[in-house]
Amino acid sequence: MLTFCISSLPCPPPHASIAMDSNSQSNYKLSKTEKKFLRKQIKARHTLLRHEGIETVSYATQSLVVANGGLGNGVSRNQLLPVLEKYGLVDALLMPPHKPYSFVRYRTAEEAKKAYVTLNGKEIVDDLGQKILLYLNFVEKAQWKELGLQALPPGLMVVEEIISSEDEKMLLESINWTEDIDNQNVQKYLKHRRVKHFGYEFHYENNNVDKDMPLPGGLPGICDSFLEKWLKEGFIKHKPDQLTVNQYEPGHGIPAHIDTHSAFEDEIVSLSLGSEIVMDFKHPDGVTVPVMLPRRSLLVMTGESRYLWMHGITPRKFDTVQASKGLQSGIITSDVGDLTLSKRGMRTSFTFRKVRQTPCNCSYPLVCDSQMKETPPSFPESAREASQLEQDYVHRVYEEIAEHFSSTRHTPWPRVVEFLKSLPCGSLVADVGCGNGKYLGVNKELYMIGCDRSQKLVDICRERCFQALVCDALAVPLCSGSCDACISIAVIHHFSTAERRVAALQELVRLLRPGGQALVYVWAMEQEYNKKKSKYLRENRISQGKEEGTSSDTAMPELLVEQVPNVGSRDSECCVSSVTDLPEGGHKARTVTNAKLPVHTNRTSFPSQDLLVPWHHQGNPGEGKPGHPAGAHDPGPVFHRYYHVFCEGELEATCQTLNSVSILQSYYDQGNWCVILQKV
Amino acid sequence: MKLLTHNLLSSHVRGVGPRGFPLRLQATEVRINPVEFNPDFVARMIPKVEWAALLEAAETVRTLPHARVHLPGEWGGGEWSHRQPRARGGTPGDDLGLCPQLHLVEVPKGPIEGYEHDEKFLRQMHHVLLEVDVLEGTLQCPESGRLFPISRGIPNMLLSDEETET
Repeated sequence: MLTFCISSLPCPPPHASIAMDSNSQSNYKLSKTEKKFLRKQIKARHTLLRHEGIETVSYATQSLVVANGGLGNGVSRNQLLPVLEKYGLVDALLMPPHKPYSFVRYRTAEEAKKAYVTLNGKEIVDDLGQKILLYLNFVEKAQWKELGLQALPPGLMVVEEIISSEDEKMLLESINWTEDIDNQNVQKYLKHRRVKHFGYEFHYENNNVDKDMPLPGGLPGICDSFLEKWLKEGFIKHKPDQLTVNQYEPGHGIPAHIDTHSAFEDEIVSLSLGSEIVMDFKHPDGVTVPVMLPRRSLLVMTGESRYLWMHGITPRKFDTVQASKGLQSGIITSDVGDLTLSKRGMRTSFTFRKVRQTPCNCSYPLVCDSQMKETPPSFPESAREASQLEQDYVHRVYEEIAEHFSSTRHTPWPRVVEFLKSLPCGSLVADVGCGNGKYLGVNKELYMIGCDRSQKLVDICRERCFQALVCDALAVPLCSGSCDACISIAVIHHFSTAERRVAALQELVRLLRPGGQALVYVWAMEQEYNKKKSKYLRENRISQGKEEGTSSDTAMPELLVEQVPNVGSRDSECCVSSVTDLPEGGHKARTVTNAKLPVHTNRTSFPSQDLLVPWHHQGNPGEGKPGHPAGAHDPGPVFHRYYHVFCEGELEATCQTLNSVSILQSYYDQGNWCVILQKV
Repeated sequence: MKLLTHNLLSSHVRGVGPRGFPLRLQATEVRINPVEFNPDFVARMIPKVEWAALLEAAETVRTLPHARVHLPGEWGGGEWSHRQPRARGGTPGDDLGLCPQLHLVEVPKGPIEGYEHDEKFLRQMHHVLLEVDVLEGTLQCPESGRLFPISRGIPNMLLSDEETET
């Protein structure tokens, strides 16, 4: 059991004011704020241990872990270092990439203690201008995994010495840079480098290949033996049919880019000849990882490193490399104690790719030219359009993702459980939109019937021995007034018009007997309510099996420890137009006409009320081929689900238009707007 | 699909309204599924039951031939604590080869006085309402004739777009 640091060190949080002498520790009483602060500090400790394997200690040392002060949550070195330096001489500040914490080592434990006492709970501003609180804990030493393959972009691998010096010489000599112009292998002299294409010509105007015009001759014969060997040894999975040879003289580079999704398949490999070079990989969040590519090495890019990260070579004559590692492959860290310069030589790369014959279907739609080209659906104008939209972007999707979806829906939400447990024994309860039956077994004293539109999800309910049937929430085949209670959790936000949402609610009310209650949950527009980010936004990227599906494209910084909510202030992102969208006597006023539905980026705020939310369906992980990069599995297709997220007050207002209903309760719970209705 | 569930189902074909109840049950495969007896729970169900519909549904199950009724012992699942499993066929009074469980269990014609404390009554109701599971069959709307399939214990009550359109 971790002990409070209070007992071993007299270090009250900065905002508490207690007079204390060394003999009065036993009389020390913690105020409410102090207790809260301590809880947060302990939570930070637990999270660090559980997720990162970082062990904190309760006695003073030179080293501290600073939770919420990391590159992964938007705190940069030049913001944090000056703050830390106020308390003593900083030996080192280690900021592991993508992590929501960092390590600081002071010259002495005394200085570290000063920082610990003063900085704990201190507010700083991150690079988005948001205020965050730092939580400090002592550690024996800075512990995080070696910067090796771990922090390489996922799907990236560098195979060293894949060819011999003789073969390198042979390959370099085989390229004829001064061929005749009417030779089919067209040669271009680009601003920074020389290129030659084989198999298919690559067009720099649109960064794509012409799939219908293969270049005669195919790949050079000498490459065949290498490709066969690499295939056999599992370094590559597919036989490429396109080759681009690039020659970089010192000072040449290539601007950062992602190889066009629609042009080439997943695997892209590049053989480095003649000289080593440092290639930069950039993540859309802004993280840059410099990677050393030694001579005679093969760079393999798959998955995220191929589809999401940009790669480029800075045009310069010297690269910054790690002195201790010499010319070995790996990441160049920003460890100032170990960096040195390496003069560039002439480098030639052979980049092998396989041309795609079908549109790209990767998990990174926002950077995918195939998927961005698809005509996005628009806001429905009629009941038929609405029904079709829901068919394409709700029902079809849930059928496809049912199993995966079910595996991420295992934890019943406490307040829903509370509602169900409050019902008397023998109550008949309908769960409209029951999904995988998460709530059907929560209270054994109830008779619950689940209804869902998805056969596959109802099958899962059946496997769990629950009573469930397939039907539409707008036409539930239960007798009117037959239910003592109903629940509809995260369902009504899938209806694409206000009319249909009202109709779904009306249907719930129809099922209730007089006095019966219904609990409704819908996704809120305001994912950050009362300055407290919902679980959806807060979810740590590292952990698996999250409630709201997986994501690889998050733009919001994630905190290790949640903020103290600012009670009293409210986010005012309410869209009044949606409330006036309600039907009155059948006539509807629409505020949006012919608008396209935006695609949302998971784990960020919602851009509008009507939108498509991606679901990244996990394909099967790559089989254990030797040498194949860890974590490089089939990205799997992405599905878009339609949502209408509700503004504050909108659900209530919608319920108020219903017949014979009174609203008992209305609240916000973890990113959802909720109501409890009663049939009068 | 349990018979209690059937008792709550109603057709929602457009225009049918309350005449869509009860759905006519045709079972082709049934399983008897032991469920833990909770007298309080059963007693609270009684006032909610539509008896005529229940009796009708129970009768269609009762008249099923042996081969179409799976007993608990068969699949080796569940406890059968309060009743001896019956052997198939050769049971006295069972010449018609009818579903032995329901044949033995009388389905009460209605709630009897003091039912809340009548264990025999409650156990019979428990069996009928909760332990009979229709795996395959159809449900028919009495008004429109529309058939809804029951497959692997799941009724599919989805209507086509035409059937739901005004």
